[in-house]
Amino acid sequence: MDRIVGERDAAHFQALCQSLRPDLLRFAFWLCRDHALAEDVVQESLLRAWKAQESLQDTKAAKPWLLTIVRRELARSFERKRLNTVNIDDLVAGEEPSLAARQQDDLAEMREAIFKLPEDYREPLVMQVLLGYSTAEIAGELGLSTPAVLTRLFRARHQLRTLCGEDTSQDPPA
Amino acid sequence: MIDHEHYRRALLADPRNEEPMILAHRAECDHCKDFATRLLTFEARLERAIKDDPKPTADVLPFDRPASRPTRRPRWLALAASILLGVLAAGGFWVAAPRSSLAGEVVNHTVHEPQAWNMREPVPAGVLDFVLKRANMSLDPHAPAVTYASACQFRGYLVPHLVVRSAQGPVTVMILVHETVAIPTNFDEHGYRGTIVPVPGHGSIAVLAHAPTSTAADLDALAKTVRNAIVWGPT
Repeated sequence: MDRIVGERDAAHFQALCQSLRPDLLRFAFWLCRDHALAEDVVQESLLRAWKAQESLQDTKAAKPWLLTIVRRELARSFERKRLNTVNIDDLVAGEEPSLAARQQDDLAEMREAIFKLPEDYREPLVMQVLLGYSTAEIAGELGLSTPAVLTRLFRARHQLRTLCGEDTSQDPPA
Repeated sequence: MIDHEHYRRALLADPRNEEPMILAHRAECDHCKDFATRLLTFEARLERAIKDDPKPTADVLPFDRPASRPTRRPRWLALAASILLGVLAAGGFWVAAPRSSLAGEVVNHTVHEPQAWNMREPVPAGVLDFVLKRANMSLDPHAPAVTYASACQFRGYLVPHLVVRSAQGPVTVMILVHETVAIPTNFDEHGYRGTIVPVPGHGSIAVLAHAPTSTAADLDALAKTVRNAIVWGPT
């Protein structure tokens, strides 16, 4: 077991957070749809993690540990302020101009479709695709059964394909 | 034996599902094999959409200075600091440490896609073509088996990120068309060993593996094999 102990491992812990920060930021962004809020949430989460680093018993568990902190911090943010409801088209074209201005139209279309997914579907999908989580790990993090996670992932991709206008006529027969 | 519907649902839940019953069904059903190819192409697009945005705006951790929690500074101070940093960066950084971080960024990118090394099945031809065409290239049939292929954002460009199977295990290959290096450069960072070799007229290729499993000579040989297997499209 590779345990974090005291200040002598502070640099180690810092390096760990540094390496995981980009993925945590992307995860937060895909859930809250707001770059600035995602930045705030991740910074606050890392501060909490720093203060609570003694509770991290095994550095191999750092990623799910930090992810849990980010999810809680996001939930707190949603509780603290009722987030504005925005029109997805406006969001993509205006609030996040970097998305709309992308050269690749297909990626912009995909991102728009991801934002349109219900959060219950979007969150496990992002955990799987971005963080490489297995179905069992997603189930553990979200407190769901494995079959429930599989159903949500299935529905997420099913909806995404429809939203992106994928030709499903050649899919295996139901 | 599973049926088409079971197969379709399983793959939509996890397009990289390689359970024996899934592979067995795919082997016996051309219709479902084609479906897997189309779905993996879609998945490659989904991965890029999710992973490439947003870019982290800064790599500053909130506890970089643990003695004092960051406080909001006046805008003029932030502006002055930005200008000073810009001047320092323009005037000194490139002289002091030109290109020193290319290898580090390759390692960092690899670390952030750990699942890439877990793939064992060859990437469907459609997915590989999709990724390579973005770099105006293809691979000839003598190239090592590619088990992972994704077009990834790297230093502002979409570059092919591949994993190939070697005798020593999985090896990451990044085709860096926009990164020119003068001579082959070996590196050994954070448990990864690799090399970046020039490709005249087409930037460079980075190859890296876990340090204990591959020697520099192994990686040099693999880089040469990959370089020779690339067929560049018309410019």
